[in-house]
Amino acid sequence: MKKLIAILLALSLMLCFAACGETTPDTPDQPQNKEPVQDSYSFTYNGKKVALHAPMTEVIAALGKEKSYSESASCAFEGLDKTYGYGSFYIQTYPIGDKDYVYSFWFVDDMVETDEGICIGSTLADVQTAYGTEGYNGSNAYQLTKGSGQLTIILENDAVTSIQYVIIAE
Amino acid sequence: MKKKIALFLAFLVLSGIVLFCLQALLIPKNMSGKLLEGALISEYYDNAGHNDVIFIGDCEVYENFSPITMWEEYGITSIIRGSPQQLIWQSYYLMEETLRYEKPKVMVFNVLSMKYDTPDSTKEQEKREEYNRLTLDGMRWSESKWNSMLASMSKEEREDKVFTVASYLLPILRYHDRWNQLTEEDFKYWFTRDTVSDNGYLMKTGKVPMTNHEERPLISYDFGENSWYYLEKMTKLCKDNGIELVLIKAPAVSPKWWPQWDEQIETYAAENDLLYINMLEHQEEIGIDWDNDTYDAGLHLNVYGAEKAARWFGKVLQEKFQLADHRVESYLSGIWAEKCETYHNRKKEMEEK
Repeated sequence: MKKLIAILLALSLMLCFAACGETTPDTPDQPQNKEPVQDSYSFTYNGKKVALHAPMTEVIAALGKEKSYSESASCAFEGLDKTYGYGSFYIQTYPIGDKDYVYSFWFVDDMVETDEGICIGSTLADVQTAYGTEGYNGSNAYQLTKGSGQLTIILENDAVTSIQYVIIAE
Repeated sequence: MKKKIALFLAFLVLSGIVLFCLQALLIPKNMSGKLLEGALISEYYDNAGHNDVIFIGDCEVYENFSPITMWEEYGITSIIRGSPQQLIWQSYYLMEETLRYEKPKVMVFNVLSMKYDTPDSTKEQEKREEYNRLTLDGMRWSESKWNSMLASMSKEEREDKVFTVASYLLPILRYHDRWNQLTEEDFKYWFTRDTVSDNGYLMKTGKVPMTNHEERPLISYDFGENSWYYLEKMTKLCKDNGIELVLIKAPAVSPKWWPQWDEQIETYAAENDLLYINMLEHQEEIGIDWDNDTYDAGLHLNVYGAEKAARWFGKVLQEKFQLADHRVESYLSGIWAEKCETYHNRKKEMEEK
């Protein structure tokens, strides 16, 4: 009987430790060492290409020093969202380990345009010519996806007011 | 036969004890580092009762108001039930659960979380489950916790609902693989915890001047159906219990509180006869100095800002709802004298670091 109890006790302990096979991290801030995927949107500014997932150090090397900078920490976990302002557009990054990669960029004036030629102030007709009708919500926005990126174009009174690119869940 | 039954029962009890001890060892303690926030919800129970004001919400409540200041200035008894990225249904169920322990005169809800309509609409999806844990693990078991857990499940959690539910009932299932990450802290706080907050307020003394935070415009600024549903439930819960519900937007400049959101809450508050204060519109009266009163460039206030916010807001509450000055009551004065001492010692220690 004693042996049986010992076996059962040992089994219950083993079950505790092996209850599920997957590792579920309680410290989510551990760096993921995978390389970011680069299959998504980009735009060109002064002949320099900026793409989602691109290492921010490379972007800064190409574009030069930002005009403004801010960062936001997560409420509880490690990691900073950094936002770099370049006057006509902003770039936000995400961290992997000690490196930052482009998470999103958005345009704030007509000095920069999408690779398809759309900028702030373009008309709905311009957008439809460039992107067709797929992705249009019928009222005020276009949302298109490419790889792991999403392009959102917001319109007001028949004119584009915001162009934004962001990484969506893969 | 009797002996066999007795032995079997003894085995069950022994297994239960072993399981309990292992679970206590393996669950995160949140007693140091950046995850102190995970200890906030459970600290309420030792401070429940006698609170006239209860703040409920996300980091914008537990970082931006000092209950100690409200006591010292006005004799208002208050506590914060806040947790990181607390979603509106979690706030509702915390509110509901609070009524099992006390019936405050005022419930204060920070409306920023209205922006998240569902568990899937938060930005940091990969961390959603962990954020949920920071709120839910600290709650004592009740119908409210159960409902909050069901309402909070992330997409990943819903895909394995049975395991998710089981892991809340028996957290060792969630944390069993921490056995190789155990630190000295896990053994030190195996069965006990320090108090990390001052009545739910998590003190920060650092100073990082505010910077301009840019955010992408939205396609739609309409709050979602689910958010409205839970705000409506909060309103009803408070009305049914004779509690004043006060809606606030705490004085923090990021995440951005869009004017379109402000307008919707203003309209809702007017229609439901609720007090709504967007404290961003009262920054000057409050006296916030964005060079010195924030520890993270404007996302949250530091203790100097939180004291100013509490001083201003306490006055509003006292004038509007004629809250009693409890400093004349010896029993409460004794309890709060201890809290004040702890608070000022903590502040001094943090300032000296």
